Amino acid sequence: MKEDSVFQERRYRINELRAKSEKMTCRERALTALKHREPDRVPIDNWMVPEIQKKMTEYFGCDSYGELLDFLGVDFRNNYGPSYVGQSFKKHPDGTVEDLWGVKRKTVIYGEGTAHQGSYSEVAESPLEKLKTIEEIEKYDHWASPDWWDYSKVKGDCEVYHPKYCVINVGDRLDRTSQLKPMMYLRGMEPTFIDMVMNPKIVETIRDHIIDYFVGYNHRVFKAVEGEIDIFMMGDDIGGQTGPLLSLEMWRKYFKKGFKTYIDIAHQYGIPVMYHTCGDVKQFIPDFIECGLDILQSLQPKATNMDIKKLKQEFGRDITFQGGMDIQHVLPLGKPEDVKAMVKYAMDSAKPGGGYFICTAHNIQVDTPLENVVALFEAYHEYGNY
Amino acid sequence: MDNLKRIEEAVVNGKIDEVKKLTRQALDEKIPPSDILNKGLIKGLEIVGSLYECQKIFVPELLMAGMAMKEALALLKPTLEKSDIPPAGKMVIGTVKGDVHDIGKNIVSMIFTGSGFQVTDLGIDVSAQKYVETVEKEQPDILALSCLYTPTRLAMIDVIKLLQEKNLRNKVKVIIGGAPIDQNFSDMIGADGYAPDPPSAVKKVMAWLGK
Repeated sequence: MKEDSVFQERRYRINELRAKSEKMTCRERALTALKHREPDRVPIDNWMVPEIQKKMTEYFGCDSYGELLDFLGVDFRNNYGPSYVGQSFKKHPDGTVEDLWGVKRKTVIYGEGTAHQGSYSEVAESPLEKLKTIEEIEKYDHWASPDWWDYSKVKGDCEVYHPKYCVINVGDRLDRTSQLKPMMYLRGMEPTFIDMVMNPKIVETIRDHIIDYFVGYNHRVFKAVEGEIDIFMMGDDIGGQTGPLLSLEMWRKYFKKGFKTYIDIAHQYGIPVMYHTCGDVKQFIPDFIECGLDILQSLQPKATNMDIKKLKQEFGRDITFQGGMDIQHVLPLGKPEDVKAMVKYAMDSAKPGGGYFICTAHNIQVDTPLENVVALFEAYHEYGNY
Repeated sequence: MDNLKRIEEAVVNGKIDEVKKLTRQALDEKIPPSDILNKGLIKGLEIVGSLYECQKIFVPELLMAGMAMKEALALLKPTLEKSDIPPAGKMVIGTVKGDVHDIGKNIVSMIFTGSGFQVTDLGIDVSAQKYVETVEKEQPDILALSCLYTPTRLAMIDVIKLLQEKNLRNKVKVIIGGAPIDQNFSDMIGADGYAPDPPSAVKKVMAWLGK
C-alpha cells in the first residue's frame, strides 16, 4: 500500500466509513446475511473487468488487486476450481484455440486504440452446428471429462482465504457449471433455439452430455475441498433485456431437472448455491426457490421486471439476492450522484432482514469512468451499515 | 378461414413448412403478392410482436416466425418483381466493430427481409468505414446497427460521425439496437431511434417510411 498523502486522501473516506460500521469478519458477515439475519453491514461482492481492476488498484495506491479488494472491503474471494491437466488446447493456423469442449475460440478486441480498449474470448466456430442426427452428435469426440482436472490443490487454494473471507467457487466464465451455455457454444445460439422447437432429442442429447460432465466434476471438487468452499456458483444466462430468452415451460421441459441436480449435489456437501443469470427472469424465481436455490445473482436493474424493491418484497424471505447495480447505463453514463442514488435505493430496498449481497449486475466495464467506480464503493459503505 | 388469415396464423405459430405451403397456394389462387405480404405475413408479424412484448413468446418462437417469413418472401419475390412492386425499403445492417454477437441482428435481418425489405447484411465486427461505404453504394433508407456490450456500443458513435463527415447523415435513417441500447443512448449519439426488439423495429421503420 503506497503511503503518499495523495493516496491516503483518496482512501480516507472508505477507511473512515468502514471503521465506523465493521465489527465482523468478511465470512461472518456474508454467512449471517445468507441466513437472512442482519450483520454489521451489507456484504460486498465485486465483479470488474481486468482493465478496471488495474485502474482502481493504481488510483488507490494499492500494490496488488488483492490489496485493493482488502481496502475496498470486498467480503468474497473467488476460487476458480481445480487445475486443468488434460490435453493442451489445440491451436489452429487461423489463430483460433479450442476450449474445454472443442469449441474454437478467438480473441476479439473492441475499442482498439481508444481509452476503452478491451477484449473478450468469443466463439469462432461451433463444432456441432452442422450435424443433423443424434448419431452424429453422439460420435462427437470432444465431450469434456472430469478426468482432465487435478483436484489436489483446490482445497489449499480455498483454505488460504479462511477464516477471514467468504470463498465462492465460481469456476471459469467459459466453463462455469451450466447447461444452456456450453450447448450454445457447441451447437451455436440460433441452432440451439431452433432445436428447442424442432429437435427436442438433439437438445436432450447435448444437455445430458453436459450434465454428466458437471455432475462428475462437481462431486470431485466438493469432495476435494473438504468444507473449504462457502458458496458454490453456477451460471447460465436465460434472461434477456426485455424478458426471458425462453419460456418457463421450455425451461421446465429441458433444464429444470439439471438445475435441481446441480443444487442437490452442492447441498449434499452442505454448500449453499448461487446462480448467475443476466436479464429478466422474474417468472422463473418461484421455480428456482422450489429447486432449493439459495442465492440469485445479477438482478440486472435495467432489464424488465427486475426492480430490486419489488423482488425483495415478493421473494426476499425465500431467497438471498446478489447484485442490483446497473453497469449498462448508470455506471458508464451517469454521474457520481446517480451512482450513489442507485446504491441507496438498492440498500433501502434489499438490506432489511439480511439476505442481500451488494454487487454490480455484471463486470464493471472498461467504459466506466473511474470516479463512478469510486463513488460506487464509497456509497456501498455509506448506505450499507445496519 | 381464408388463406391470408391462415398464413397469418402459421407465422404466429412459427410453422415454417405451413407458411411456405400456404404462400404457394395463395400464389396459385392468384392472390396479389402484395396482399400475401401485407395482409398475411406482416399481419402475422404484428401479432408476434405483441406476443413477444407481453412475454407470451420468446426467442425460439420469434426466430421460427422470422425464418418462416423469410422463406415465404423468397417464394413471393419473383412475382413481386414481375409485378414491378418495389421493395418495402432498403436496409443495411450489421453488428458494430469489436462485437461478434449476432442473434438479435440476424432475427432483425430475417424479419425485415420477410417484411419485403431489401436487406444487405454486413455480418459482425463491421467497421465504420464498411458501413459508410455500403451506405454510399446501396443508398439504403435505413442503416441498422447492433451490439451486445456497453463498450462496443461506443463504436456506433464512430459510424454516425463518419456518416456526418461524408455528408450522408441526412440521407439515411439510423436505427440502433441491442441489450445496452435505450432511447437515452440513441438521443445521446444522434441516432434516429432505437427498438427494444425486432418486431418493434419493423413497426418503427414502417412508420418512418410512411407505410
